[in-house]
Amino acid sequence: MSDASLVAFLGRPNAGKSSLFNALTGRRARVGNFPGVTVDVEEHDVTLPSGRAATLCDLPGLHRLAGELGEGTDEEIARRIVDHAAEGERPLVIVQVCDATRLALGLALTRQARDRGPAAPFVLALTHADELEAEGARVDAARLARLAGVDVVVTHAAAPDAAEKVIGAVDAARPSPAVDFDPDAVAREVVTRAPARPSGPRARTAAWDRALLHPALGLPIFLTVMAAMFAAVFLVSDPVTTLLDGGMQRLTALRPRLGDGFAASMLLDGALGGVGTVLAFLPQIVILIVGMELLEASGYLARAAFLLDRAFRGFGLGGKAFVPLLTGHACAVPAISATRVLRDPGERLATILVIPLMGCSARLPVYTLLISTFFGESAVRRAAIATGLYAAGVLSGLVAARVLRASVARGNGRALPLLLEMPLLRRPMLRPILHRAWREAKDFTRRAGSVILSASIILWVLLNTAVREPAYEGEPLIDRSVAAAAGRALEPVTRPLGFDWRINLGLVGSFGARELMVGTMGVIFGVEDADKEPAPLVEKLRAAKGPDGRPAYGPPTAAALLVFFVLACQCISTLSAVRRETRSAKLALFVLAYTYALAWLAAAATYQVARLLA
Amino acid sequence: MTLAELARGAAARVVALPDDADTASQCQSMGLQIGASVELVRRAPFGGPLHVRTGEVELAVGRELAARVVVEST
Repeated sequence: MSDASLVAFLGRPNAGKSSLFNALTGRRARVGNFPGVTVDVEEHDVTLPSGRAATLCDLPGLHRLAGELGEGTDEEIARRIVDHAAEGERPLVIVQVCDATRLALGLALTRQARDRGPAAPFVLALTHADELEAEGARVDAARLARLAGVDVVVTHAAAPDAAEKVIGAVDAARPSPAVDFDPDAVAREVVTRAPARPSGPRARTAAWDRALLHPALGLPIFLTVMAAMFAAVFLVSDPVTTLLDGGMQRLTALRPRLGDGFAASMLLDGALGGVGTVLAFLPQIVILIVGMELLEASGYLARAAFLLDRAFRGFGLGGKAFVPLLTGHACAVPAISATRVLRDPGERLATILVIPLMGCSARLPVYTLLISTFFGESAVRRAAIATGLYAAGVLSGLVAARVLRASVARGNGRALPLLLEMPLLRRPMLRPILHRAWREAKDFTRRAGSVILSASIILWVLLNTAVREPAYEGEPLIDRSVAAAAGRALEPVTRPLGFDWRINLGLVGSFGARELMVGTMGVIFGVEDADKEPAPLVEKLRAAKGPDGRPAYGPPTAAALLVFFVLACQCISTLSAVRRETRSAKLALFVLAYTYALAWLAAAATYQVARLLA
Repeated sequence: MTLAELARGAAARVVALPDDADTASQCQSMGLQIGASVELVRRAPFGGPLHVRTGEVELAVGRELAARVVVEST
């Protein structure tokens, strides 16, 4: 057993706990599996100034530790961790990050935390004291320490000395018996109150809320914000993607210099065709992450939950389910963990099961490629279609939730009523957001360099390995390759959707990672058109011929493929997250089955109708 | 009178929380506790939640829950 102290960071949501934790760890925390509690928490090892070793660990945000807490919710997980740590042999230090503008509520949590680890050294880190001061109020930290029987340190994640101060306080903290106090009385005593200033954060928030939560304009504003964010992803990134695409072509133009060999083709058609095509979509993903982080950090998401609650009830969910559903637009895996804020087990399960329908960023490359190939004269029109696809994902998710709430996820029959804190609206700190975007970009690039690179090379090999002799003089190798045979075997299933063997291969590949759809197309057409002039994938797709010599793809096929990608849960990581969170492999298989069935039906309907119209 | 019946802009004091211990404890942890002063800031349209200001925080409170919180005018 390690004798390093365990330093548990806990606090109410929006107290600034994770920002402070990140400032302390320099964002180098790793995700660890907390011993005895099979839940991922961020941890970071440090050496305290006194030379003692310590592990800092970031608990989920919570409002309380006492009472009946639903199993698997953030609050219950945090309580399990604190209890487990308090019983363990490692010395425990509790750091509670507390928003000074919500001191009484924070102190109520302090009392509950002290009941859990009575003698453990306890540091109360007060944040947002600047907001209190902006209201003309002040908190007396020394007096607070005396009355509440804890060590107090006043700090802020953005302060340059935040880490030093908090770590110093942790090092100096000594075990002290829990003191009985009345949180409200103590808060009243140590904060000098002042009426809200017209220029203070409260008044400013109230003024913004008058517009953002306006009875008639609130929802239109919300919808505009969402649509603008998703449209911006396409509009802003369009020129960047074109630029990257051009660079990729210049590399392909090196072919004559590299010769005609095996290695050159593998490098250019396989590796570059696959990875390069996918990497070109990096800007979209970064813009999306920045947009979502800005919304979250500003406090607007709670407003959105307030506005949407009534409408969501019609689908058996509550307004709070909006946050995990929005998170799902970046990636379903963290979104599934984010459902831990939902207390109602039925609502939580339904939300988990429909998150895979949200348009995650891995779908972006497919959306972009198909839209710009088959539907896109103007950038505005392309952005509008993409936004429509996101809306389609959300709507089908809501309808699915309604059905699930009446069947698989009945729970106790109805959603628990909303109870949600509306945090002050804050100007987001830019650094953590940019850092998050950077991390996301790195992950994406790494995935392109590993999963997508190896898959592209495997595909290239399969496209260059023949299964049979030429049926006629000069039949291209690719047409009689292993890959083509495999794709053709699926054609009976996908013919009603208008897909051919090439798309089928993409669908098989994209089961591991959706971006592979685009990578696969890049490789297939790289191999097929190796002897032609280099051209953007968009043009190759338009020019692609079917066995009868007519264009292989048109708008009906593209529309069907888009619909398929909106609905199908083509993601192993998501399925394993569903299994982990619901502790049921059956439910994970259910997600796979229902989304694929839905995708096939909707894509077939789209293709058939579009063909009639065309 | 319940919190759900409060007029917009009106202030009141909480006198009773819902019976079931879990909901009551949740309300308390959010600052909606007996003796707390509350003010109705706005209601979401079509029977949506209420925007309520209490001592330190502002809350979104579902209408069904608000109908189970008893208040008296101050």
